[in-house]
Amino acid sequence: MFPSRRFLPLIVVAGVGVAACSSGESALESGVDDVTTDAPVEATTPDDGTTSGTDAGTDTTAMPTTTVAPLADLAPCPTEALDAAAGPVDIVFWHAMANDLEPPLVALTEEYNASQDKVRVELQNQTGYESLLDKYINAGQGSRPTLEQFPEYTLRSIADSGTTVPAEACLESSSFDTSTFVPRTLTAYEYEGIQRGMPFNVSNPVLYYNRKMFEAAGLDPDDPPVSLEELRAASEQIVASGAAPVALVLDSGPDSGGGWFLEQWFGRAGEPFADNGNGRIAPATEVLFDNELGVELTTFLQTMIDDGLAMTVGDNPGGQDAFFKLADQTTPGAMTMATSAALGSVIAALGGGLVPDLGPQDIGVGPMPGPGETPQVQVGGASLWIMADKSPEETAAAWDYVTFLMRPESQSQWAATTGYVPVRTDALDLEPIASTYANDARFAVPYEQLLSGVNDDTANAPVLGPQREIRAETSRAMAAIFGGADPQTALTEAADASNLLITSYNDRN
Amino acid sequence: MATELPAGVQGAVDTALASLDELPESTDRGRGRGRDFDAPAGWRRVGRYLLLALVSFVVLFPIYTTVIAAFKPSDAFFDHPLLPGPFTFDVIVDAWTAGNLGRYLFNSLVVATIVTVFQVVSAVLAAYAFAFLRFPGRNVFFVVFIATLLVPLEATLVVNFDTVDGLGWSNSYIGLAVPFLATAFGVFLMRQVFLTLPLDLRDAAAIDGVGHFGFLWYVAVPLVRPTLGALALFGFLGAWNQYLWPNLIINETEMNTVQSGLRVLSKSNLDQPNLVMAGTLVAAIPVVIVLLVFQRQLVRGLTAGAVKG
Amino acid sequence: MERSDRTKRSRWREFPLALLMLAPSAVILVVFVLYPLGRAVWLGQQRCDNFGGNCKSQGFGQYVDIFRSTEFQNALVVTVKFALITVPLGLILGVGLAVLADKYLRGIGVFRAVFSSTVATSVAVASLMWLFLLQPSVGALANVSWFNSMFPSVKDPGWLQDPGTALTAVALSSVWAGLGFTFILVTAGLQGIPRDFYEAAAVDGAGGIRRFWSITVPMLGPTLLFVLIVLTTRAFQTYGEVDLLTDGGPQPQDSTTTITYFVYGQNSPIRNDAGLQAGAAVLLFLVLLVLSAIQLRGIGRRVHYGD
Repeated sequence: MFPSRRFLPLIVVAGVGVAACSSGESALESGVDDVTTDAPVEATTPDDGTTSGTDAGTDTTAMPTTTVAPLADLAPCPTEALDAAAGPVDIVFWHAMANDLEPPLVALTEEYNASQDKVRVELQNQTGYESLLDKYINAGQGSRPTLEQFPEYTLRSIADSGTTVPAEACLESSSFDTSTFVPRTLTAYEYEGIQRGMPFNVSNPVLYYNRKMFEAAGLDPDDPPVSLEELRAASEQIVASGAAPVALVLDSGPDSGGGWFLEQWFGRAGEPFADNGNGRIAPATEVLFDNELGVELTTFLQTMIDDGLAMTVGDNPGGQDAFFKLADQTTPGAMTMATSAALGSVIAALGGGLVPDLGPQDIGVGPMPGPGETPQVQVGGASLWIMADKSPEETAAAWDYVTFLMRPESQSQWAATTGYVPVRTDALDLEPIASTYANDARFAVPYEQLLSGVNDDTANAPVLGPQREIRAETSRAMAAIFGGADPQTALTEAADASNLLITSYNDRN
Repeated sequence: MATELPAGVQGAVDTALASLDELPESTDRGRGRGRDFDAPAGWRRVGRYLLLALVSFVVLFPIYTTVIAAFKPSDAFFDHPLLPGPFTFDVIVDAWTAGNLGRYLFNSLVVATIVTVFQVVSAVLAAYAFAFLRFPGRNVFFVVFIATLLVPLEATLVVNFDTVDGLGWSNSYIGLAVPFLATAFGVFLMRQVFLTLPLDLRDAAAIDGVGHFGFLWYVAVPLVRPTLGALALFGFLGAWNQYLWPNLIINETEMNTVQSGLRVLSKSNLDQPNLVMAGTLVAAIPVVIVLLVFQRQLVRGLTAGAVKG
Repeated sequence: MERSDRTKRSRWREFPLALLMLAPSAVILVVFVLYPLGRAVWLGQQRCDNFGGNCKSQGFGQYVDIFRSTEFQNALVVTVKFALITVPLGLILGVGLAVLADKYLRGIGVFRAVFSSTVATSVAVASLMWLFLLQPSVGALANVSWFNSMFPSVKDPGWLQDPGTALTAVALSSVWAGLGFTFILVTAGLQGIPRDFYEAAAVDGAGGIRRFWSITVPMLGPTLLFVLIVLTTRAFQTYGEVDLLTDGGPQPQDSTTTITYFVYGQNSPIRNDAGLQAGAAVLLFLVLLVLSAIQLRGIGRRVHYGD
């Protein structure tokens, strides 16, 4: 079973040739000879957020003005067309609400369908944001749905695609009142001065912790750590007292510890993640996370791991590994950061008796720990977008459904069982959310931290074209840093790769 | 086309069919004639059984743990993973309903059947042409057919998606089946087997006035039944196990096949880790049944292609 | 009738019928294999925007660029490593199992059925079974204390989480899934070896091992070649296992990003450029082509096709 002697030298030569073959360049540089770089646009207000620091509490500048895209050039939203429609208009809604998040959406949709006969909504569950995006990108004009739910990191790429109706057009055409909306939820989905999508499911990172372990360590289970110093102190106490072998469970997945959380921390510290006002004043041309703050934050985490206070579960591909570590039967962790959207599932899982000795009441939820004393988060989750090039009736029908989902009653229902946050303040007094927040303070945590902090230009997440791919790069850097690499080197490498992604995107879109 | 074969031809066919049934079914080659390398005795026998048992345990281990987990309620999940817990069907039922597995199994069945039927028919026809017909360019055509075996599915996926979507066949059974309706491997296999049929058979049939289609249907096909069975089985399994393609073209949840359905189940579950295990089991059972029923065809078919090379 | 007329007529006489019989296969193969390949070759030298539109040609030098890029080279190395683990292991284990079960014993059929059982598993089924085994906190192996003490890394950090072991773990699941197939094939091949060879060799005093290497292995030649080709091709097309087990492998090394995962995986940097995806896919095709050629010519020549 050995290759005949005549071929051996050939194979050896080929192998050497291939091995010497790597160009050291990224696949993204293929084909194009030179990559153009744009100079960053100057902000029109004095604040451009270069203070490296922890507390942004005294900054009260208004949101900088942006170059506003002309609404007339974008797809229209004829919301009156629905009245003229002959029979019920059928629309299709692609969403990514999997598992426990699906039933509330189904319930709301059935309520809507039953309450009127002008519109019938058909739900199609695409299971996850990535599959949804892939299918959207691959689908031709004819196969696209009427309404779609897109994750927050696709704001720019979907807006740039020109395949959607900007929500602004619908808001104007129907004179929809958004005065009671939480301002950050709306501004999160503004791009080039125009409202693009309507926020629907708003989540943010929170701290999940084992209350029993807190008690065993002598910590107050109702007072979780908020600042990084407190986090460190609590971890030391947990490990020293033997309450748990591991205090903090980290991960390096793109949509959690490796990407999303990094953006959140920069926002909390009041520092821009990318130039041009986090990409909101004008298209971003480079990322800024390899600065002092980035190194400071990652070094903090690396030191926690080196000191035996934290550990990483790796890339967390299913999103569940960090939670599983808390449920580990031999070396459990005490705390982890994860999206608030998982709260409903966690409670349900523990309620089913999955983990021995850990009931649903034994998990506490606290605000996301981060730089500074004041909790502050950026809007995460997804928003609703209406597709362009549909008939006026379909567009109007989709908007009608969207307004239904935006009702205070709907928001109250939606937020009550998931871990999502109602996007409007007048939903809070309605049942069922009123009782939920009253009886289970855990659900209120993501809401409260959304309202807190300062509304400067870093209050909202960075807007980048290839944001998911950039998160994959930072994820790589985080994994390297958790593994002991030098933070500055790793972050700079990730920044270089990200900048390449940005220029590649800007060139082609 | 005659509706029954001329007597002479029929006789030849019957003889050939009879000899087919004489092919060794059993995989044992008879008792050892006093030699122990074929039928070990005494300690060697015991040792052999032990070794077989140990290896079987290792091979079955992943299936074993899956079965254990699938029949345990979630509050017994962390009890010893190698021992059965309190037996319950609930998780399986949950996986079936929440995972919509019934519908997905049905979808897979429909698609696999379409693919199998079409593959067999098209491969038999093409192989017949290559084996029994003479026409200019026959060799060139055959080489091109075989060359398509070298093209991996991944290289053609994206364009195939555009084609199928452009035809409006996304989210349909035909869309799920269409890229797999032809099999160059099947053509190769059937041609191989057709070529082993005695030449005189064809000549005798021609002299007696039996046309090509008559020969195909009444003589050639019955004589290659085993290989045909294997081809059908491969086609079915291949279509059943397709993973990348359904994930690409299905965006209506009802139309998922069981493989893409499993992916959905795995990526969206926190409450009940054993739900995924139950789903996996449910997805695997139909294939196990098919294989148990058709295991002879499987062995025959694999032999025909491999041993003769 | 003139002889030349007759031959001329009879050459083309069966052509229409042949076309008719070839048509079903040919149409599908052209539309869904040959045309996409051609189009992919063309697309592979273009760069496109996020939605697959606005494609601009860059010249066929782009293929060289893609091939030489760090990500593709990494994917190539990973795929080759993967094949180097799965193919020999699959072959050896398959032959081993077949030889083990090739005895006349009561109940041998049961063992044979067990060894073939993995042929019933699809990629998704096998990968999910192994995911459940290997998860470091809730997985079966991590929670079995005696296994844990033998192999502490299954829990800390976990075989799928450690860049050094992740590829091997994925390979294990792939080898396991392919065991049944290999076992059945080799068993069928063993049946074709006449027993007289063994008897004659035994009479001449050859022991079990000697008989294995001098008779069994050469006689299995064609079967083993077939298995080798199938296993190698499968190894180079690995996608589902990576998608379900590691999403491309522990970062930052991308330890399990095979070429196919590089093209279609959800964390891949080229997923937003249809041109680069097509280019990488065509490169995969070329790699497979070269590999098949080497295998067939380099090894196929030494295969004994029997008497």
